[in-house]
Amino acid sequence: MAKLTAGIATSHVPAIGAAMDLGKTEEDYWKPVFEGYKWTREWQKEQAPDVVILVFNDHASAFDMNIIPTFAIGCAEEFQPADEGWGPRPVPKVEGHPDLAWHIAQSCILDEIDMTIINQMDVDHGLTVPLSLIYDQPKAWPVKVIPLAVNVVTYPPPTGNRCWVLGEAIARAVESFPEDLNVQIWGTGGMSHQLQGPRAGLINAEFDQAFLDDLTANPERLRYLQHKEYLVESGSEGIEMVMWLIMRGALGKNVRELHRHYHVPASNTAVGHIVLEKE
Amino acid sequence: MTDIHEYLEELEDIPGTRVFTAARARKGYWLNQFCMSLMKEENREAFRKDEAAYLEKFPMTAEQNQAVLDRDYNRALDLGGNIYFLAKLFSCDGKSFVQAVSTMTGVSVEEYQAMMLAGGRSPEGLRSKKGGY
Repeated sequence: MAKLTAGIATSHVPAIGAAMDLGKTEEDYWKPVFEGYKWTREWQKEQAPDVVILVFNDHASAFDMNIIPTFAIGCAEEFQPADEGWGPRPVPKVEGHPDLAWHIAQSCILDEIDMTIINQMDVDHGLTVPLSLIYDQPKAWPVKVIPLAVNVVTYPPPTGNRCWVLGEAIARAVESFPEDLNVQIWGTGGMSHQLQGPRAGLINAEFDQAFLDDLTANPERLRYLQHKEYLVESGSEGIEMVMWLIMRGALGKNVRELHRHYHVPASNTAVGHIVLEKE
Repeated sequence: MTDIHEYLEELEDIPGTRVFTAARARKGYWLNQFCMSLMKEENREAFRKDEAAYLEKFPMTAEQNQAVLDRDYNRALDLGGNIYFLAKLFSCDGKSFVQAVSTMTGVSVEEYQAMMLAGGRSPEGLRSKKGGY
């Protein structure tokens, strides 16, 4: 049977991808950002998951104003890096796992979470930057990826509780998949940042650290955190952190924190990263 | 159940922030779809060649056209633009998020970057228009 073993959360700042693509990772500005991922890269080599369910948000790349799915699961054989306005990132294509993806889609729908099924989707920095952070620059990604896109752009995005419940449904789906697979779930985006208006540049380290703490200490608080609190306390784009709750919900009641990294700034954003193991 | 009217009203209370609500999304539909068109290199070339002529392909308002020509991002947000869509416009100009975002804050890009390096902007005093805190 497939087994959900661990969860990773990380920011997905586009400039981090650009820094890697342009060979700037050793520069003073970027070094401390990447330093915090070294531990995870080593750990991930030992873990060697077969599949990652990668929760991210599309930034007006695959979805424009015509189609705005709240939860969309990528069921295709492969996904190409998107051209976000400056050409696609020079990273490998992303290989999917259609069998498991369709299994999750079907199971979630019968479990009363109505997923949108996507068979054609280019994936933007929201998905490729986390892969780069955890796997560096391989010729091919050493893992299959099921993209799970969440709308956090057009209001209202899903509530934290809804994300949590979806995570639980995904976990049940994975555990009922007959093939022996080591599966991880990643939540991406955040932490505090605001990219718009005169309040842009907002960072709230206190809020972010409390969020990281409560992923293990008090996840119930995070589960019921209201959209307005994210917006006020962590900036308008801090709302991306609801996606971390899909990952956290999937891991079940008890988790152990294995690694944490927090750094300000990367571009406009507070970089947050945590590795959680299912107990 | 959350009251949608209260929910939306609360989102308007955050200083210096335009939350991308349905009202803004509807107002900015063509502005945002214009931005999406810049994801294709051939369209970026056509836009660079004659910006005003390219904009005529989209049924945008005169104010929206002007905000695009002026690269006035705060104005574009007021007219229903969304930052991830507008990102296609500043990417087409070869500008980064930091360069474009700083123009909305009333300081130079150098001052903005210095603020970020010093830990960013505190939410202190920027939580509520009504409450003034």
